[in-house]
Amino acid sequence: MLGPSGSGKSTLARALAGLMPHTLPGRWEGSLRLDRLEVAETATGRLAEVTGICFQDPEGQLVMSRVEDEVAFGLENRAWSRPRMLRRVPEALAEVGLGGFERRDTARISGGEQQRLAIADVLAPLPGLLVFDEPTAQLDPVGTEAVFERLERLARRRERTIVIVEHRVDAVLPIADRVLILDGEGRQVGFGRPDEVGQAHAETLDRIGGWVPSAWRGWLRTPVDDGPARTEHSRGEQLVACEDLWFSYPRDATDPRPPVLREVGFRLREGERVALVGSNGSGKSTLLLLVAGLLKQSRGRIVLAGGRDPRRLSRRELPHAIGLCFQDPELGFVAPTVREEVAAGLSRSAPGLQAGQVDDALRRFGLEGLAEESPFRLSIGEQRRLSICAATIRQPRLLLLDEPTFGLDRLGSDAVIELLDVHRSSGGAQLLATHDPRLVSRCDRVIALHAGAVRSDGPAAAFLADPPLRPQAPWRLASGSGRVPDLAPVAGR
Amino acid sequence: MSLLPAPLEPIRPALLTRTSPASRLAVAICWLFAALVASSPLVPALLVAVGSIAIALGSGLPLSRIPGRLAPLIVAALGLGVLALIAHPSGADRGVAAIAIIGPVRLTEPALGAALALVLRLGLVAVTTLLVFAVSDATQLADALAQQLRMPDRVTYGTLAALRLAPLLAADWAATGAARRLRGLDGTTPWSLLAGVPGRLLVLLVSAIRRAERVALAMDARGFDTGGPRTRYRPARFAALDLLLLVAGLAAAAAALLAGAALGA
Repeated sequence: MLGPSGSGKSTLARALAGLMPHTLPGRWEGSLRLDRLEVAETATGRLAEVTGICFQDPEGQLVMSRVEDEVAFGLENRAWSRPRMLRRVPEALAEVGLGGFERRDTARISGGEQQRLAIADVLAPLPGLLVFDEPTAQLDPVGTEAVFERLERLARRRERTIVIVEHRVDAVLPIADRVLILDGEGRQVGFGRPDEVGQAHAETLDRIGGWVPSAWRGWLRTPVDDGPARTEHSRGEQLVACEDLWFSYPRDATDPRPPVLREVGFRLREGERVALVGSNGSGKSTLLLLVAGLLKQSRGRIVLAGGRDPRRLSRRELPHAIGLCFQDPELGFVAPTVREEVAAGLSRSAPGLQAGQVDDALRRFGLEGLAEESPFRLSIGEQRRLSICAATIRQPRLLLLDEPTFGLDRLGSDAVIELLDVHRSSGGAQLLATHDPRLVSRCDRVIALHAGAVRSDGPAAAFLADPPLRPQAPWRLASGSGRVPDLAPVAGR
Repeated sequence: MSLLPAPLEPIRPALLTRTSPASRLAVAICWLFAALVASSPLVPALLVAVGSIAIALGSGLPLSRIPGRLAPLIVAALGLGVLALIAHPSGADRGVAAIAIIGPVRLTEPALGAALALVLRLGLVAVTTLLVFAVSDATQLADALAQQLRMPDRVTYGTLAALRLAPLLAADWAATGAARRLRGLDGTTPWSLLAGVPGRLLVLLVSAIRRAERVALAMDARGFDTGGPRTRYRPARFAALDLLLLVAGLAAAAAALLAGAALGA
């Protein structure tokens, strides 16, 4: 299933998983039959036997604390006999490459492993239909590769019908027999064999903001220019210098964890955009928090422009020096309306700033019509723009961003990159943690972290041509597609 | 972004971990009842001693970590003990001899006894809490509550799923604090941090509801609680060891009560 954000892909996925209209009520018309059962007239317990769904949030969809219990949970609900469960649980785990994980704690395995566990959960009861809603959206490249490998094997066996909503279009297209395209209003644009749909609708898909598979690019009237952006090397003032940075969590004798960061050193000049890449747990977010002065390094030095230590900045100075945007913009919101969100703290730290300037900023970020809305009611793309708007209203020269394109479709992603370009061209520097190869291709430099240490630091084009991180493949997709996870909140947006 | 402290250590296999949380709960209730009905502080004292020995020998818990975990309870118990000591009515009664006089406060023997009894009872609460909750992992506890004590699945397994969210919410809480500091709203002094708490709680509530909805949807998608029959992957059973535990626990309570009656007077 392809389409832009808000096209209803997740909604349709949930309907196919038998969750509508019973569990998620709403107005329901027409007919949906799963295995000859009319969904609207069938009990949810019965539907759970024919269909299963794997969601995008690996941690959020797991129920039990022990891996084997997690797989057994769905079987218990379907009243399987105990001997049958004892046979099936290890079998399902082996099918996703998690053999031997039975006694592990579900909170202490990696995101990729958690997602494969979620796949084992839906596989275990042997439903005829498997639905995957952005199964790799929240995974790092290592986890993504492992999940795709399992999806490919499942598809090749042709035992079950598989429906996948996925933003990594180039990875799923080769295993798809049919493609369904939905437009921004939830209407069906096309359905059929991939090449037929591509030929007929590639242009439409591009126009409505969906990611176009690279195999379909030939059918586009205007070719997409997605190659690495040319970078003029900055020789501006140095805004950040990190030297020999180490960070460990406060530990005691029973905590054997290695340091989160070790011997990290890099510099950042004005006008530079630097991507921070590496697997989950490689220390990217920690490094952002350190540069923002929100954590204290165990060793080493961070120096901002003018020789300042970020931890010594007063509460008035900090927002003028550094802006930070969280991966989940909601966690960063501090005010009840969009306008107040942007104006928060301005009266204290920037009394010179006029209300007119807030309105100006809202206009530039395309938020003027939403000024009185609650930030929590915005779409993910709007939330992301609001978060950047609020972080940049005081024109900090340094902007730190955690996964700024996460959860966005192509239009949303383009809008964010455009806003970042404006900040950079006015002399700003940006350090951003990301898994998005398309965003990396728009950076000047890439710092690759591995297990808390800098693996490489160099021009983005060199990184994308020969990524020093395993697996390399996801980074090479750069010219084909970026990520368009449709974050699709469960409710309330 | 995680600002999380170290995770709690996992359960290690030991004698008590092989008993059902349900039978440990039964012993705990029995002990607390005995300490409540007996007036002598000897009863909770003996039970605290027996319970502590059981924890030390049979729980597998790292003993060095226990005081830290119980710190809030220990502080509260000592605070209440001191309060009971100085506020006891016999302190105002000139007919009762004072053991010590500190400023306006007269400490008497009945007051000392009452305070001791209170502290020991709270100590027993701590010990039994450890025996029931710290020795089992959450799954074992949920299994016992659902299968042996017949609590509804929705409550027990729903709570279990919610428990998994706690560390995520702790990370969310830290992020909301960081966000306010970065916008120049909060300083670093405790007083200036206080102002942001209501707003941060709101964000946390929104995030908690979103996460809970996601788990609930995942549970529904997997056919949880649809009204049909449900089987058990790991049946919770009472073993011979549980019988032994119950007998030993009851015997300890009875012995403590007898000793309290004989010597307490």
